[in-house]
Amino acid sequence: MMNAVKFSDESLKRFGEIVGRYPKKEAAMLPVLYLAQREFGYLSCEAIEYVARLMDVPVARVYGVVTFYTMLNMKPIGRHHIQVCRTLPCALAGAERITAAIKAKLGVGVGETTADGRFTLSEVECLASCGTAPMMQVNDDYYENLNEQSVGEILDKLK
Amino acid sequence: MHGYEFHVPGSGLNPKLETRNCDTHMDPVKIIIDGREVATTKGKTVIQAAAGVGIAIPHYCYHPKLTIAGNCRMCLVEIEKMPKLQIACNTPVMEGMAVKTQSPKVLEARRAVMEFLLINHPLDCPICDQAGECWLQDYYMQHDLTGSRFDEKKEHDRKREIFGPYVVFDGERCIKCTRCVRFLQEVTHTDELTVVNRGDHSTIALFPEKILDNPLSVNVVDICPVGALTDRDFRFKVRVWYLKKTPSICPGCSTGCNISVETYQNRIARFKPRINEEVNSHWLCDEGRYCFHSLTEGERLTAPMIRQEGGLVPTDWETAVQAVIAGLGAAAPVAGVLSGRNTNEEAFLFARLMKKISAAGEVFYRERELTEVEKLLKSPDRSPNFRGACDMGAGGGGFDALAGRLIEGEFRSVYIVGEDLVDLPGDGDKIKNALEKLSFLVVQDIRLTPTAKLAHVVLPSTHFGEKEGSYTNRRGRVQKLNPAVVPPLGALHDWEIFSRLLAKTGEKISFANPAEIFAALARAIPAYSEFNYDKLGDHGIQLDTQRHDH
Amino acid sequence: MEKILLRNIDVPDSHTIGVYRSRGGYRGLEKVLREMSPEQLIDEIKASGLRGRGGAGFPTGMKWGFVPKDSPKPKYVVCNADESEPGTFKDRLLIEKDPHAVIEGTLIAAYAIRSHTAFIYIRGEFSFGAQVLARAIDEAAAAGYLGKNVLGSSYDIDLILHRGAGAYICGEETGLLSSLEGGKGWPKVKPPFPATHGLFGCPTVVNNVETLASLPWIIEQGASRYAAIGTEKSKGTKLFSVSGHIEKPGVYEVDMGYPFKQFLQEHCGGVPEGKKLKGVIPGGASMPVLRAEELDGISMDYESFQAAGTLLGSGGVIVMDESTCMVRAAWNIARFFAHESCGQCSPCREGCHWMEKIFRRVEHGDGKEGDLDLILSVSGNIMGNTICPFGDAAAMPAAAFIKKYREEFDQHIREKRCTVTSSTSRVPA
Repeated sequence: MMNAVKFSDESLKRFGEIVGRYPKKEAAMLPVLYLAQREFGYLSCEAIEYVARLMDVPVARVYGVVTFYTMLNMKPIGRHHIQVCRTLPCALAGAERITAAIKAKLGVGVGETTADGRFTLSEVECLASCGTAPMMQVNDDYYENLNEQSVGEILDKLK
Repeated sequence: MHGYEFHVPGSGLNPKLETRNCDTHMDPVKIIIDGREVATTKGKTVIQAAAGVGIAIPHYCYHPKLTIAGNCRMCLVEIEKMPKLQIACNTPVMEGMAVKTQSPKVLEARRAVMEFLLINHPLDCPICDQAGECWLQDYYMQHDLTGSRFDEKKEHDRKREIFGPYVVFDGERCIKCTRCVRFLQEVTHTDELTVVNRGDHSTIALFPEKILDNPLSVNVVDICPVGALTDRDFRFKVRVWYLKKTPSICPGCSTGCNISVETYQNRIARFKPRINEEVNSHWLCDEGRYCFHSLTEGERLTAPMIRQEGGLVPTDWETAVQAVIAGLGAAAPVAGVLSGRNTNEEAFLFARLMKKISAAGEVFYRERELTEVEKLLKSPDRSPNFRGACDMGAGGGGFDALAGRLIEGEFRSVYIVGEDLVDLPGDGDKIKNALEKLSFLVVQDIRLTPTAKLAHVVLPSTHFGEKEGSYTNRRGRVQKLNPAVVPPLGALHDWEIFSRLLAKTGEKISFANPAEIFAALARAIPAYSEFNYDKLGDHGIQLDTQRHDH
Repeated sequence: MEKILLRNIDVPDSHTIGVYRSRGGYRGLEKVLREMSPEQLIDEIKASGLRGRGGAGFPTGMKWGFVPKDSPKPKYVVCNADESEPGTFKDRLLIEKDPHAVIEGTLIAAYAIRSHTAFIYIRGEFSFGAQVLARAIDEAAAAGYLGKNVLGSSYDIDLILHRGAGAYICGEETGLLSSLEGGKGWPKVKPPFPATHGLFGCPTVVNNVETLASLPWIIEQGASRYAAIGTEKSKGTKLFSVSGHIEKPGVYEVDMGYPFKQFLQEHCGGVPEGKKLKGVIPGGASMPVLRAEELDGISMDYESFQAAGTLLGSGGVIVMDESTCMVRAAWNIARFFAHESCGQCSPCREGCHWMEKIFRRVEHGDGKEGDLDLILSVSGNIMGNTICPFGDAAAMPAAAFIKKYREEFDQHIREKRCTVTSSTSRVPA
């Protein structure tokens, strides 16, 4: 059950520091949402309401923000979020084959999460790594110059 | 078309507009629109300058009382020396600026915007309540009139989502102009709605589990230029082109919001706000908007009634009037209670009647606590014409003091006009006991209310929507009520009943209509001496320069 | 060719302040603080001819000059590190390898408009870049280049690193500002312009990473040395990100005006595997594509690309060989813009998706007579009619692909199938 969503003491301290950095409190919205996403795993409605209260802004505004940005998730995602770039330079380098190889290996489609919760597969737009295409981002890390074989080896290492 | 939105300049309760316009001056600026020289002032935008001379530049997202969003792109115009078309809503006028609103380039851009707005639209006009007052329809008829070139699968959105007690949303009809979002951010500051997602998945939404129920919520329906937000109360009742529209004044409270009473087959279908910057700007509160239901619906009295053994039985007016005068005359002391919804004209005659029969008259007045949002529009006083009635001499202290005396048993007979005292929260039971002990009770109302059921004589009257007359709001603005529907046969207007009663007391009285009463009251009451119905017009006039509240 | 922007990136530990300073780093900032008034600084940058490297090519000094000097409001400088234009990855290189040049440039720009608070808005996906910058900012603060009384000059400057959260539109300067204000990245209607009403309604300058990273060198070496490089109207060097079917993809620093064909052949090694060149997008995915035969005579500067019917844009060069299906390439780009449209204004919100749907149909064998003219009409109706330049960015490539490769599109429609076997079409999407 969802208990009252609340930052840990450490996150609360961090929240204070973040807000203190900005000339206006509302400017801290994205970093505070990151903080919440990190702490709660994803931005549930409860988490959004909590952030809205902390930030003194209407909850609808936070909701609009969360749904606007691709890196903010309102649903739980896998431990490793595989994001394969599908935009032209990567497509020219065979990004579709990379996605197909991952689909085959993990048995999930784009937008799906493996049953064990280990991986979520997404296709994303240009990640500014076109010179080393095809590429993917897994959580914070870039993996570049991929081929069907190397992508399998990378996934094997991600527990 | 839609030019009504430009009526009067001003801020309309939106503080963001005040700051935006704070550096505007009255410096004159001349610009040229479609070859015509237009005199305007610095700080105005092209769309405002054009509207000022009756040139309506098509638009959706622009609303004079909201901040500029610039998102619909319908108001694109050609401006000399500018390579791209510019949106008229956000282009400040500059001396000598030459604007074209009808050039081929402008018409093509407008047609293109129409086409974009319609590609994911369900084109369900036959079942849409907005049909007939939809800006998509109107502009389409003016500009496009061609078939769709969109041959793809339409994006679907939420249909019939209940946003709140009065508002329902159809996402597929929405053009994302964000008027509703801005209204809730900038006017009510309640922020219920936002735009979620992006691209063509953008849609207007409430936060999950929240509802749109602020006291001004239905204004989002009024400002929605399309059929995305509709009024649940009005939905599917009647096609708007069948509506007869009568300018009038909201009877919901003493703010005196200007309204259009919209009727179909002699029934009130809805209230819509009329723009009056001195009173309600563009807005109307939900309570006022729907007050006509309780004030007008239910089985009407169509004949006077008189109490005989076994109960109230129908009688004729002559008998009833005679019985009232005789009954009140025989059971002094008498108290008269006038409704705060009665007009000045009625109050004027009521005051004379009370004086004539030496009765203690009082007008109905009850105050309430208001929330911050309610304070934007609502008056604490629910009685729309308490101030006017007091001016007419119908009372002065409000009903509460009189109620105390009534409960104490000070009066032997009571004449109640248009108020169901037995139904009052709190004091209802005590008053009922007091009324039951009276020697003689007259109730004048439109229905056989619980109070009327206690009466010895019941006089069938008419409601605000059937009347002509005037209200004076709490700030002293005298405004005109107009009859929107015809009263049932057998009922008489309160002024007619008071006239008959006065005549029966021997008072020489012969008013043909409320205008004549108003002329009489203007002669009698100095504050009103300058006024007549013509002068009141559709927006009323202020009584005195010093605005003072009660 | 002189290396200005890439002068440090091959040096080991170039991201550290020690290495940066050992190579002359922060001398530009010292010079402006000690020797130059903000007005002199603006004049110097005007004289250098530096133009914005984010895509629009607006003269940097002039942009600074629009900021009112007497405004009582705070002023802000924002380094636009939201690099997201497909085919562009030069800013990422600078951020990761030469973060102090980005920081020094940002501080110089802040001084030029007397701003005391500057931001670096970095796209959310650049997690590593953000870490590098954060560390570099700490180093710079510790060394006294940031904070109160910088280098004893009594000038105070705070620098805040801000991460985006995934939205291409935040690269548009007013979309960026909306995002930095804590909202959706919705571009703002203009007027007013950011120079007077930017972040929180205060005067604001937004400059691209590459623009800012050019500043330290210009200050140190002098505007005239910078202006000596390049062409009459396109001064200095420019970074080009080269990707696609090219032997040596990567980021190249090129003197403005260098022959484009020679660059692709000699510096980038040409098209691999002996294949023939089919087309090149020279300035990021939003710029019109050029057919191979159109490259002759183009030099790498703003004016020459414009004369060829395209734009230099962000310098994101995407090379396509003969195996490329141009319908699929056009659809890919249309899909990008449909995905990234912020949804605020009607032509872009509705038009981008409309175009994407038609391109998708044509590529998948469901094209119809009239589809291509319809796309041209829709793109024309978007062009110039939107709140921000995104509409043009979506419309231009769509129209260019059809105009340049009409025969291939017609063939798709006629034969009701994709007629090119290419790396982009081997796997059905």
